[in-house]
Amino acid sequence: MADEFMKGFGIFSIAGLAWMILSGWFTTPGFETTQLIAPVPENLDFYGQFSIVLREIMFWFAVVGALTFWVLIPAINEIKAKSNEK
Amino acid sequence: MKRKTYKKQKDNVEFPILTDGSGLMQNPVPPDDQTPSWSERKSRSTGLAQLTYEYFERARLEDQDIRSRADYLEREVLGFPMWPHEVVRGFAITSFFIGIILLLSAVAPPHIAAPANPSQTPAVILPDWYLYWSFGLLKLEPLNPALSILGGDKIMLDRTFGVLANLVVVGFLAALPFVNKGKARRPVEEPFWAAFGVAGVVFAFTVSVLSVKNLVPLNSHLLFDLTFILPVLFGIVFYSLLKTMREGYMYELNRRYYRLRPPKPYRPPKPPK
Repeated sequence: MADEFMKGFGIFSIAGLAWMILSGWFTTPGFETTQLIAPVPENLDFYGQFSIVLREIMFWFAVVGALTFWVLIPAINEIKAKSNEK
Repeated sequence: MKRKTYKKQKDNVEFPILTDGSGLMQNPVPPDDQTPSWSERKSRSTGLAQLTYEYFERARLEDQDIRSRADYLEREVLGFPMWPHEVVRGFAITSFFIGIILLLSAVAPPHIAAPANPSQTPAVILPDWYLYWSFGLLKLEPLNPALSILGGDKIMLDRTFGVLANLVVVGFLAALPFVNKGKARRPVEEPFWAAFGVAGVVFAFTVSVLSVKNLVPLNSHLLFDLTFILPVLFGIVFYSLLKTMREGYMYELNRRYYRLRPPKPYRPPKPPK
């Protein structure tokens, strides 16, 4: 169980940090306005567009990865254990 | 050296050696339902499971050896030594957070604004967010009673009332450790105080929201009522929840876990003089 928590936590923190860095670079117009979740600016170059795609990927990786290791896999293990008991 | 009795007791009586890993019966840490059986231990034979198992098992064995050898107990509770166990863990956690701070400050350095103009008062004056609760207590004028005996005048200025409310809350917090000594380790062990704490946390939040009521899209009278109703509501819900959890729940477990001092040797009562 501790392993599963650590895997989920590792994914959550690393992907979350990557999302936070990319959001700080591309979707943070200023310190005293919207931070991290401002609309994506237009006329981005290739690297910018790639970073925006990567930002989306990292966001969903953090959410889905954490849910997988914290909820899905433990639930599957529980169900397996229950069915083995029967 | 009054505690020698324990050892004497050990030498005189024969104890069976248990094979469940707990060693001699005189061990002051008896095996309970948390102690793994041998088959459970053998199953932890690979990878991280084995590593963590060996790590904790070694600490447990050291603890058990110390207890069985000691004339007196050096440690009253079962725990891990500061070095290396706690230090390694603390260093790992500290490194994690310092690493995050260094990384974020390197890749996303904060914008440094122009210096504040000391000769111009800003339109909205607010304390830092963690002092909103105190700021909210200054806005309790509906609670300040208007007495008919004073001809409908209030008993004191609203601002005096707000400062007194702060004193009452802080004074109550200061008195709390003397009212409840905090022997419970988990909320189920003392449902009332746990629910009381929940109500306090919720009140800290609601009174903070009250302090910025201009920014909250709610009727300010409704907001004022909710400030006091929500904490009580949450307290009642948590109290009943914890009371329900006590049913069939091992809420005595922790008390047993911390009761590790060996039983006091029997001393016959003193004969009356």
